[in-house]
Amino acid sequence: MALLDTLLLALKTTFVSGLVLASLYVLMASGLALVWNTLGIFNFTHGAIMAAAAYVAWQISDPKGYGLGLAAGIVGALIASGVMGLVINRLLIAPFLNQKNVVLIAVMTTLSGAFFIENSALLIWGPRIKQLEKVVDGNLRVAGTVISGHEVVIIVIAPLLMLGLWAFLKFTWTGRAIRAVAQNREFAELSGIDVRRMYAVAFATAAMLAGFAGIMLGAIRFITPGLGAEPLLKALIVVILGGLGSIPGTILGAYVVGFSEALSTYYIGAYWTQAVLFLIFIAILLIRPSGLLGKD
Amino acid sequence: MNVTAFNRILTVAFFAVLFILPLVNSDSYIRHISIIAIMYAVLVSSWNVTLGYGGVFNFGHMAFFAIGAYATGVMTKTFDVSPWWGMPIGVVAAVIASVIVCLPVLRLKGIYVILVTFAFTQLCLQIVLNQRDLTGGNFGLVSIPPLEIGAFSFRDFQNAGYYYLALLLLVVTLLAMLWFRRSHFGRSVIAFRDNETYAISRGLPLAKVRLMTFMFSAVFPGAVGSVYAQYVRSASPDMFGFSFLTLALSMLLLGGVGTIWGPIAGAFVFTIISELLTPLGPGRYLVTATLIVLVLRFFPGGLAGIPEFAGQLLKGRSGAAGDPAMLKDEK
Repeated sequence: MALLDTLLLALKTTFVSGLVLASLYVLMASGLALVWNTLGIFNFTHGAIMAAAAYVAWQISDPKGYGLGLAAGIVGALIASGVMGLVINRLLIAPFLNQKNVVLIAVMTTLSGAFFIENSALLIWGPRIKQLEKVVDGNLRVAGTVISGHEVVIIVIAPLLMLGLWAFLKFTWTGRAIRAVAQNREFAELSGIDVRRMYAVAFATAAMLAGFAGIMLGAIRFITPGLGAEPLLKALIVVILGGLGSIPGTILGAYVVGFSEALSTYYIGAYWTQAVLFLIFIAILLIRPSGLLGKD
Repeated sequence: MNVTAFNRILTVAFFAVLFILPLVNSDSYIRHISIIAIMYAVLVSSWNVTLGYGGVFNFGHMAFFAIGAYATGVMTKTFDVSPWWGMPIGVVAAVIASVIVCLPVLRLKGIYVILVTFAFTQLCLQIVLNQRDLTGGNFGLVSIPPLEIGAFSFRDFQNAGYYYLALLLLVVTLLAMLWFRRSHFGRSVIAFRDNETYAISRGLPLAKVRLMTFMFSAVFPGAVGSVYAQYVRSASPDMFGFSFLTLALSMLLLGGVGTIWGPIAGAFVFTIISELLTPLGPGRYLVTATLIVLVLRFFPGGLAGIPEFAGQLLKGRSGAAGDPAMLKDEK
């Protein structure tokens, strides 16, 4: 029985830490998934927007900044991210929309955009690390592990956000118009959809989701210009694993990555977790090149 | 005078200038910049094999460079292997890495290739950061043994040894690229870029050619990474980073993809621009980023597109410089 107990405890611990990680990844991937799953454009500025939003929230909320409180910081940062999304779309995506290979060009322009935003953050806020307040204080003991109230909020909000995103794309006119643009631009245009406007809407929404992820991250990690680099990588793995064009796939991908990471950290050690993750990633792609739930 | 002869004279003149430069100028700053520019030229030229000629968006090329540097550093410093084994070790490590990253890429297309190779680079970085005992983690790997022949260190005479070694690498790279363009192998690579279905129907083996493309292109960053590590005597995690990748990408785009001289010209011009902008601090990266977008928008042919662009202007034809082959639609 003792063996069973240890096994059960190990399972519980890895489950909780896996759940925390997976929810974080859902949150990080949501904005990226919106643009990638609908328009098929991979937005490398995603991570940089997270960092920038965390900085803006800090600037507004922190006593060393304007000191207006966390709520004002969150609202301000969300608006700022939305504007950033619009600007990114206007400067980095829209001018190349009429080229056939816009998807590949967008990789290079958004990569430059990310570079631009990160270094601007460095110029404006300097290299000194900062941190945001947590949304909720206090800790929670679950199954022998301690998780913070902030993480509980993330666990609850992240899936709801994705569900909302899925419903938005499935049921609202705008959501369906965005998907129509992705499926066949000319036909979408013919049926009276303003293609450029749909791109702007998608990018602004995605940037706000990235901004939200950045604000949540800014309270549990230190804010640096590179805050978004690791989340961008995780989000990237999640959306590829999930498969192009599938929001449920993205959610599944996030939970697969989160739990694999927790299990491998527990059984193999944190040192090799990233390598294990990449092996799983390659193995899945070799068997299913279009991702877990992607269409061929 | 025909074009080929003119090109040949230009090539010889270019290398003659580079060869004589250390003999007439011993300023250590100029020496350093020239070594770096030459190394960039090798890196970017070889990246051009996968990205330009192959049309395969391999974003892991800089990882091969970093892996070459780290492999050399770890083996010669920690395991006391002779520094002269550094370059073979770097090359082998980079080629092995290229095989690993190529396996998933074999079945993928277009943007998926970018994402997987990009993820590969980032995960290499994570491994380097985590294996602190071996790689020095965040601080990088320092005091890597330099190259020496008896009492002569390659660092003597303002790094003259490293300068000529780098120059030799560039000559080898250029010759390899000229061979590549004319060889059956190189033509199959280009055939797959231009029309994959047709190339397969003519009996070209896609998986084999793609794997060989990756291995071939990884030889050069492996070698340069090794020499770079021995030259600056350190390897840092920054080599896997965003900024380095963006810098090399801008050289390739600025120079012109899918051409022999574009990447080399891009590397030299860009290294100089980047040095002139140093006083701006992080601001110079803002200029770099803006430059990439502007080149993509208004000048997709890069520097290599200038002759064609000028030709079109002279003939009074409208339109921008020719679309580089890389930017053709991937289907």
